[in-house]
Amino acid sequence: MDKVLGDRRAIALFVLPTLILFAAIIAVPILLSGYYSLLDWDGIGEGTFVGLQNYANLLFQNTDGFGKSVVNSIILLLLSVFVQLPIALALALILARGIKGEVLYRTVYFIPVIMSTVVIGQLWLKIYNADYGLLNAMLGSIGLDSWKSDWLGDTSKALLAAFVPILWQYTGYHMLLMYASAKSVSEEIYEAARIDGATGITSALKITIPLIKPMIEVCIIFAVIGSLKIFDLIYVLTRGGPLHATEVPSTLMYKSIFDQYQYGYGSSIAIFIIAECIIFTLILQRAFKSE
Amino acid sequence: MKGFSIKAISLTIIAGVMLSLAACGSSNSGSTPASPDSSAGSSDLKASTKKVTLKMWHQWASPNDGNTKALREVLDEWNRNNPDIQIVDDGIDGESYKTKIKTAIAANEAPDIFYAWGAGFAKPFVEANAVLPLDDYLKDGTSEKLLPGSLTNVTYDGKVYGLPTSLSVASLYINKEIFDQNNVKIPTTFSELLDAVKAFREKNITPIVVGQKDLWPGMYWYDILAIRTAGAQGALDALNNQASFDTQPFKDAAAKLQELVAAKAFNDSKFSTGYNEMVSDFTQGKAAMVYQGNWLGGSVEDDQSLVKGKVIAIPFPAVEGGKGTADEFFGGAIDALWVSANTKYKEEAAKAVKYLTEQMSNKLYESGAGLPSWQVSGVDESKISDLTKQTVEMLKSATHTVMWWDIFLEGKDADRHKNLVAQLFDGKMTPDEYAAQMQKINEAKK
Repeated sequence: MDKVLGDRRAIALFVLPTLILFAAIIAVPILLSGYYSLLDWDGIGEGTFVGLQNYANLLFQNTDGFGKSVVNSIILLLLSVFVQLPIALALALILARGIKGEVLYRTVYFIPVIMSTVVIGQLWLKIYNADYGLLNAMLGSIGLDSWKSDWLGDTSKALLAAFVPILWQYTGYHMLLMYASAKSVSEEIYEAARIDGATGITSALKITIPLIKPMIEVCIIFAVIGSLKIFDLIYVLTRGGPLHATEVPSTLMYKSIFDQYQYGYGSSIAIFIIAECIIFTLILQRAFKSE
Repeated sequence: MKGFSIKAISLTIIAGVMLSLAACGSSNSGSTPASPDSSAGSSDLKASTKKVTLKMWHQWASPNDGNTKALREVLDEWNRNNPDIQIVDDGIDGESYKTKIKTAIAANEAPDIFYAWGAGFAKPFVEANAVLPLDDYLKDGTSEKLLPGSLTNVTYDGKVYGLPTSLSVASLYINKEIFDQNNVKIPTTFSELLDAVKAFREKNITPIVVGQKDLWPGMYWYDILAIRTAGAQGALDALNNQASFDTQPFKDAAAKLQELVAAKAFNDSKFSTGYNEMVSDFTQGKAAMVYQGNWLGGSVEDDQSLVKGKVIAIPFPAVEGGKGTADEFFGGAIDALWVSANTKYKEEAAKAVKYLTEQMSNKLYESGAGLPSWQVSGVDESKISDLTKQTVEMLKSATHTVMWWDIFLEGKDADRHKNLVAQLFDGKMTPDEYAAQMQKINEAKK
């Protein structure tokens, strides 16, 4: 087997199918989107070549709230890196130290990840419902009637209300990654630390976190990219409304293409999202390396 | 660890190979129907006796939709009576259907027969030559069977491309029980409507429910107000870009809408309520009024509805000082079936579309889910619900109909219009700003 893996031709042969698949379903569509983004095209008839006009409309003469949608996605990014990941990390550290019911809790926290996003969306729609929603009922029963509101219909609250389910959904995912990584830290290191007098929190901060840092970095990159391209839950919960309050770039892209027949313009948003994700990833990788 | 990684690599590759094989498999089967193309031309005689299968796509999948029931019955009849021309259908609901049919037409993979809205929605399809003109197939007396005006929205450049299954029109639905219990007068003018709103609010009853999450239900309110203030002809002129939106009647309509919003006429959670929740709120008796298309009738008369038999349909109240009258309606014939230009069976598909649309028109009228777009034949009038009869009665005195503005305007213009109305609902935009923004849509077209 070592011999086979040492043979470059054999490697090329085995990698080829996956490479073709990758090219066909990822690389080619991205390149095509890049081409479409240079067209004024309704998606059906003939397109006309307009050069960078779509990008000019997107970035400089924008009228459809693209700037706000980018700001919204950045807010989500900050929330997921600075709120969601610390929670996931804390859960992972606690579970990895072997508390009672470890397996049960691990499963419970992971359940939102395996649930379909539309199901989660419907669930939270019911929680947030202004008339019979769980949240308003709960506030009412503890005497906080003045806090009741139409969570997803109020422009000042909809953004946060729509982000909570997203953070909730993916906490379990990051927790599992960090948990797996924390579990692989050798027990001998902890033993040595215990002999030196390090307990609970100290050993978590001084031993576990530094040792699982590569995994934390991976989680940060996943969280950043995931936030920048978030679409599904926002679409189910608010469709980007009310009045664009919860708009993110990908909902705007969807609307441009399918509601407004602006395939070229929508493609330029797609290219923007891809570029944004690549730039953020590069910056993060550079930052992690220089540390 | 090493053994594991080798296993993992080989598993990934196997999975990759299998996926790519699967992809090949499906594309093969997808292209089979096209392959006999070459032989079809040489053996035309044979083809006519051969069994033909027509693919049909539509948006009537929801079991609660009256259209679904009508379509199922009509399709069964057709397939029973035409063993040589079988129709295989595939339906998904509303918004997803829009995406599906647009994608298919763009990819040149449209089925033989498909559903689409007329006017602005199907216009790009027609311009892309994806739809078959039907004029040649209508000369056998079919044209005479259609009701006057029902082809307006399926005619482009003088050619007919689709056939309508029904006529739709919006009216104000009144929960008579709530009105009677609270001694509120059923409104016939805008000021009476405002009075009714105030009376209900005092009693903590939601006067009107609107599903503004989906944007178009709220748009209906602005559009009918504009039809009342500017008159149907005035509205059509502005929509056709022959007159300006930046004029007093359109500002008045915006001001009237904001008067309603200020009087708390609409449900508190209007921005988080979608169309479906709006319908269920009304059919559960949670609101006194809703302004909707006649398809609402099916849900109101449904067995699960708590307001069955308690709802009446009335024309939208006249606006004092407006150019329009209560005899002008918002709606028209827009639901239509079309034949793909790429179909191999043009004759058969056209024949099927003629049959399906005429029979659906009858069935929908009979069940109360729609208004007829064809001359009614063989319909048992006794089965027709009061709600439908009221609407048909109203339409007898109709002087004009104005098509749904989001269909009339196209794509991004329609989206822009809906978003502008949403801003009126929010109260952050003044009528002047609104009218100026609407006129920009027209200016961009010049």
